[in-house]
Amino acid sequence: MTRGRRLAITAARVVLAAAPVLAPLGDRSLSAGATLPSAAEARRIISIIPATTEMLFAMHAGDRLVAVGTYDHFPPEVERLPRVGALLDPDVERIITLRPDLVVLYGTQSDLRSQLDRAGIPYYQYVHRGLPDVAETIRSLGARVGLAREADTLAAGLERQVADVRTRVANRPRPRTLLVFGREPGSLRDIESSGGVGFLHDMLEAAGGSDVFADIKQQSVETSTEMVLARAPEVIIELRYAQGRSRTVDLAAWDALPSVPAVRNHHVYALQGDEFVIPGPRVGVATERLSRTIHPDAW
Amino acid sequence: MTPGLDHLLDVVDVSFAYDRRGPTIVDSVSLAVTRRAILGLLGPNGAGKTTLLRLLSGTIMPSCGRIALEGRPLSSFSRRELARHIAVVPQETHSAFDFSALEIVLMGRYPHLGVFELEGPDDLSAARDAMAATGTVAIADRDFSTLSGGEKQRVVIAGALAQASDVLLLDEPTASLDLGFQFEITRLLAELNRDRGTTMVVSTHDLNLAAALCTELVLIRAGRIIAQGSVDAVLTPTNVRELYNIDADVTMHQRAGHLTVVPVARAD
Amino acid sequence: MPEQTDAGRLRSVTTLHSRRAATVAAFGAFTATVCLLAPLIGSTPIHLSRVFDRTIPFADNLDAQVFYVARLPRVLAAAVVGSGLAMAGVVFQALLRNPLASPDTLGVSAGATLGALVVITFHLDVSAFGVSSIPVGSFAGAVGALAIVYALSLARQRGTSTTVLLLAGIALSALLAALSRFVQVMGDFTDTFRNLRWMMGSLDVASYKEIAVAVVPVSAALLGIISLTRALDLLSLGADAAESRGVDYKRAERIALVSASLSTGAAVSLGGPVPFVGIIVPHMVRLMVGADHRLVVPSSALFGAAFLIVCDAVARTAFRGVEMPVGTITAILGGPFFLWLLFRRRL
Repeated sequence: MTRGRRLAITAARVVLAAAPVLAPLGDRSLSAGATLPSAAEARRIISIIPATTEMLFAMHAGDRLVAVGTYDHFPPEVERLPRVGALLDPDVERIITLRPDLVVLYGTQSDLRSQLDRAGIPYYQYVHRGLPDVAETIRSLGARVGLAREADTLAAGLERQVADVRTRVANRPRPRTLLVFGREPGSLRDIESSGGVGFLHDMLEAAGGSDVFADIKQQSVETSTEMVLARAPEVIIELRYAQGRSRTVDLAAWDALPSVPAVRNHHVYALQGDEFVIPGPRVGVATERLSRTIHPDAW
Repeated sequence: MTPGLDHLLDVVDVSFAYDRRGPTIVDSVSLAVTRRAILGLLGPNGAGKTTLLRLLSGTIMPSCGRIALEGRPLSSFSRRELARHIAVVPQETHSAFDFSALEIVLMGRYPHLGVFELEGPDDLSAARDAMAATGTVAIADRDFSTLSGGEKQRVVIAGALAQASDVLLLDEPTASLDLGFQFEITRLLAELNRDRGTTMVVSTHDLNLAAALCTELVLIRAGRIIAQGSVDAVLTPTNVRELYNIDADVTMHQRAGHLTVVPVARAD
Repeated sequence: MPEQTDAGRLRSVTTLHSRRAATVAAFGAFTATVCLLAPLIGSTPIHLSRVFDRTIPFADNLDAQVFYVARLPRVLAAAVVGSGLAMAGVVFQALLRNPLASPDTLGVSAGATLGALVVITFHLDVSAFGVSSIPVGSFAGAVGALAIVYALSLARQRGTSTTVLLLAGIALSALLAALSRFVQVMGDFTDTFRNLRWMMGSLDVASYKEIAVAVVPVSAALLGIISLTRALDLLSLGADAAESRGVDYKRAERIALVSASLSTGAAVSLGGPVPFVGIIVPHMVRLMVGADHRLVVPSSALFGAAFLIVCDAVARTAFRGVEMPVGTITAILGGPFFLWLLFRRRL
């Protein structure tokens, strides 16, 4: 179960790291699906992406889902649905057998697309980008399945939630923040941080932090200890996903860098939860949590 | 064969097979290598000559029987000690890396040095003498792998000489050499035996080489000895026929000073 | 005193020995210089005066932290890894009589990789002696592979050629690599990133303890190899040829195998499977000093350290803001340099 959650995260992380490749693909017409939008509703939907699965449930289309991806685990109702693979290993046969009238897939899954074309099954291409695109994707996906109104409500709520956070921290100084989403446990090796592009960066900025790697136009930055020392973040936030195993939060490893303001002033935090890596309806919650960590006195 | 003081190596009823269930390569062989002799192991390809040489050098152990060096069993010697008594010149020597001729010769001094000991003046003069004796001083700094076949063999022989052993085992020393080099190496070996008294065991399939060089012969076929003794006694048309299934003329060549064997017809 | 006759081409003993000593000393000086300069190079400008200024408390001294936490461990790790891999490369090439052999040939690297991937994929907590789980698992994998190769070398019949060992090692390598892939697929690919990153090699150790622990097997290996240097020369002529000159071949082979494998295992556990160092550095050194292993072994140990330190320095400073994986640099620098040396000698 926790394993599954982490798997869900990984799928997102894979896309996250592949994002520099994906980015050029992003544009409106593409995300609406390669086939002409149909006026009818979609009633048998397959979504192999954790973010879109969550979105569909949140806009009350959960009962229309006939299958989900391997790494989809939220909301809990998802567990009773059959699974048909994910980014790297979609089970095409199973997908087709389930006779969906819409398949939500990644923009990069060209093989799957051509097979669905051959089978005459419509699809919606999801492209993973920044925070504003989450609301946009909710709306366009909602329109696509015939729940435009519910989708709009959801998106608007999300936008409001994020805007609220922004307002709260609007006039506060923005501490330089290092957002870490990977590190070898017990040491400071193989640190992976959020770069200046992508929804993690956007969430951080909305939450009132200033990304130390804002100038590096990548979603993910392989970070060395020298880079951390040079950038001297005032806050360090480590994102952890599943509450699995004895991965007790060993923030003590950062004590090897005492000149970093975050370490000196004990502003090193760990946040757990998969809402941090799924750019779905819970990004509002994630952004709020980030903000509470960076600006506790504003909340 | 009663072991005598003039026997350097005694081989008593030795047999060997690489694999217990496989063919016996050497079958109940008994022979003695007398001091200062040049003993030829003569036989067709696959007769077991190389294996017998490897047994003599201690590289492999007999399946049964024993081999003694000056009365002591070979197995009682450490590798290093044995190398001080027995040196081997294989048919071909290949080096994986670019050593110079001198470096190859100096490797022969290994059994005389301690683990961390570097070559001293004695070692270098042993190498120098050996190279002078084999006429290889001029090519001392050349890359060994760039030498001609004859030059390589002379360098390897120099290395074996530098090893300062009592016995030199040579495996088909001239097999891959042309007539010129064959003559040269044969002459060199005879000289070394005469001037330094080096005992030699030469394995070959070349009857004329054996006749020219050796003082004693052991004829081997299919792992068994079919005749042994002095060259004159052993190198007869009858034995040649038994070894090679060839009718040959064996005559004393006046100018060369040794027997020569000329094949004439298949013995059918 | 050098001889004057035709045999004068044979240099005197003292000249030979002093030349050797001078060569090793030169390599030593080069490596020491590189070690001293490398921590000064980096993407962040630091001032030596501030680094060693004791009046500033360490916690506030950014220059000192960059020097002591970010850079110096990297330089030391690079030295240990580079030295270990280069030494192992020399020994494997001599042992297998093959200039194309490397620490990867017999499967020890593959074992180390499998060990690391198993730890990463199954989230094993096997940290020990102050060393985190991945290096521990990696070293265990290397030792496991060594055990298999060792058993193979024992199982061979007396007199079987080195080729058999070589082929068996290659087969083991392939098997372990396949198991590694299986582990990656079988476990959740949550840690695919971590696997890939580990496999690219990283010297950003940030901890002296791991380096100190890695030094232990590398030192043990060094001792074993030093006792063998002359025998390695003879081994290159073949097993029979070495034995006929007094080398206890089986014993030498075992010491060589265990030493080179321990060295490789420690190096790969510390810094990941950095490619090229183990195969190229011995060749570069041979092109410079000849084939005598009494020269090649210490020179390779020294030059391997310097080489990897330089590659790592380039890896972290070549591009602004981004650090290249050190393995890319070893390939980019090592390959053409090697070619240049090769052509220079020809002409």
